[in-house]
Amino acid sequence: MPLRKNKLLLLFLLCAVLFLAWNCRSGQHQDNREDEAKPLSSVVIQYAKGFKIDHFAHYTRVILHNPWSNTNESYAVYYLYRDSSTLLPTNGTKLKIPLSSLTVNTFSYLAFLDLLDEQGAITGVTDGFRIYHPGILQKLRTGEITDLGDPFHPNVEKTLALKPQAVISSAYAQRDNYSERLIDAGFPIIYSLEWMENSPLARAEWIKMIAAFFDKEATADSIFTEIEHRYLQLQEKIKNVSTQYTVMTGDNFQGTWYVPGGKSFNAILFRDAQLDYLFKNNRESGSIGLDIESVLTRFGKADYWFGCEADTYAELADKDAKYLLLESVKKRQVFNNHNRVTPSGGNDYFESAVANPDLLLSDLVKAAYPEILPHYSFTYIKPLEELSAREK
Amino acid sequence: MKNKTVIFILLIILLLVAFIGDLFTGNAPISPGEAWVALFGTSGDTIIDEIIRNYRLPKAITAVIAGSALSLSGLLMQTLFRNPLAGPDVLGVSAGAGLGVALLTMLSGTAVYPFIAAMGSMAQIVAAIAGAAAVLILILGVSARIKDSITILVLGMIFGYVASALVTILQSFSDPDSLKVFVTWTFGSLGGVTWNKMPLLLMLVSVGIMLACFLQKTLNSLLLGENYAMSTGLNIKRARVFIIAIAAIITGAVTAFTGPIAFVGVVIPHFARAFFGTVNHKTILPATLLLGSILLLTCDIVSQIPVAGRTLPINAVTAVFGAPMIVWIVLKRKKL
Repeated sequence: MPLRKNKLLLLFLLCAVLFLAWNCRSGQHQDNREDEAKPLSSVVIQYAKGFKIDHFAHYTRVILHNPWSNTNESYAVYYLYRDSSTLLPTNGTKLKIPLSSLTVNTFSYLAFLDLLDEQGAITGVTDGFRIYHPGILQKLRTGEITDLGDPFHPNVEKTLALKPQAVISSAYAQRDNYSERLIDAGFPIIYSLEWMENSPLARAEWIKMIAAFFDKEATADSIFTEIEHRYLQLQEKIKNVSTQYTVMTGDNFQGTWYVPGGKSFNAILFRDAQLDYLFKNNRESGSIGLDIESVLTRFGKADYWFGCEADTYAELADKDAKYLLLESVKKRQVFNNHNRVTPSGGNDYFESAVANPDLLLSDLVKAAYPEILPHYSFTYIKPLEELSAREK
Repeated sequence: MKNKTVIFILLIILLLVAFIGDLFTGNAPISPGEAWVALFGTSGDTIIDEIIRNYRLPKAITAVIAGSALSLSGLLMQTLFRNPLAGPDVLGVSAGAGLGVALLTMLSGTAVYPFIAAMGSMAQIVAAIAGAAAVLILILGVSARIKDSITILVLGMIFGYVASALVTILQSFSDPDSLKVFVTWTFGSLGGVTWNKMPLLLMLVSVGIMLACFLQKTLNSLLLGENYAMSTGLNIKRARVFIIAIAAIITGAVTAFTGPIAFVGVVIPHFARAFFGTVNHKTILPATLLLGSILLLTCDIVSQIPVAGRTLPINAVTAVFGAPMIVWIVLKRKKL
């Protein structure tokens, strides 16, 4: 008898699963094959692999590629038009440009919008207390910009009440309830996928993507060309450095030391700065969790340590005496990313560095080869001090 | 008897008040008047209409469903295991749902991506239901073979621990962003159930609640001990499988849609018993359903109060807000 009941229950579960499957048929991923028209022109993109901008007679099409898909599927397609009477293809998100109000749930776009002089369009941000940008902090205080809370779970009501023309939100491999709800309510989401790019210049090139929504493609192009020029020029300068120093990076977080994989943003930045990163031949693009013992044995001899979380050597020793065994600590060549921080936890490294890869590179060059940049002072990184200011 | 009817009527009124109160509170500056108009007509402002009808209304309905379902599940478990600490999560079903979501979150960037992407935000619910169902099948398989209820309780806890341990292992392998996506799920959220997801949640839970209502007699005889229940001619194994299945399905369904919500399920049955001064399921089963809904609606209202500019996770509010209520009852009644 119990068995029969079990079977009944299984049948019930099966029905539930079938119902679910039926419910989820409405996949939202767009297929861009429908639109066969040839673009009149396309924006030249040299480094970034994640997006494409095409111009048609009456509108602009922005395609974000899906970084998780093996097929040539797009993550999102946007049709940008200036005139409301424009006839548009049916398979994407339609937006009237230039945008004049939007909420930003990802810090990197604050810098892009700043460079494009469109910061005034921002009406809402997430994690306001972690923002570095003084202008935005000021507007948060006066209430011109609303804090929408946790970027992974922004406040739906506050977002809707702002009536933004678009919402910039980080895209993850899973669709989240927040973006789905905003789309249902008729608010377009501009997905931020620049973080899936691995090279510093590719990430910075995403300024072209967001510029299209403000009808500022030419401005973005000249801004990016300048960034690229400065980056490549610096690379040229250090091409013939005599010694290649070895580097380590990351820090211990509750027992796990996350180090970047060999195909990651940081590994490429180190390569471009003529620094020798031990994991350069690793094939991961994300981060790798190591324990402190492997870090000591593998990276113990590294000359430089970037991205340390401490502010002073005293603090390092206090946290764990094992840190003192590192060659970089003995040589006093340890740097943190705390050069531009606010008391409440804002750090410009997580904000504007994406848009300024040349400064990131300069920081590393200044640290390892100071003679090459004698007049430069650090932007994002800072050498550790011996003692904290309080103890001195 | 008359007294009880009055209390029930009062509870129903309280439920309605809490429901309307929940519709009227939120972070968007909408006055109760505007909310009322948006609810029954059109306010002329599409955003207010959208917030009231498509956000607050489904959220309040979810609170009612989740509150009553979790409390009922807790009541079933407490009666079956005759253990005052039993709750919806003792069978490991919530942990199983968590494991499903953790697996999904960690795997979402890999080869299975196209499959997950096609499901949109339903993917999380499917994963949670699959995880909960896996634990449920295990539990049912075990409970059909074991005589002693306490053994099932222990095994259920063990399944739960194993599922949580697997989640921890997955977390240690995942990158910080996926980790945050998962941790956000564990905060619990009533706002994730949109209208198109509501029918499924409602179907799963209402079937469970209706079945449980037919079990009142069985539950009452279980209160007197399994031996006594058997002597009344009750097929104890069958009853057990049935109760476990109902509790697990409604817990799994609610957890899948809202994330884990702690405390409500353990506490409300005690609250109901203390409130009515009886253990008869004919009274405390409906009382549990009502009180559970009221508590979760109230918690949702409380969670809207901004703390440092943001709203609190519902999973935390239920415990923080619910605990003092229980302490008060314990002190007043001197026992649970």
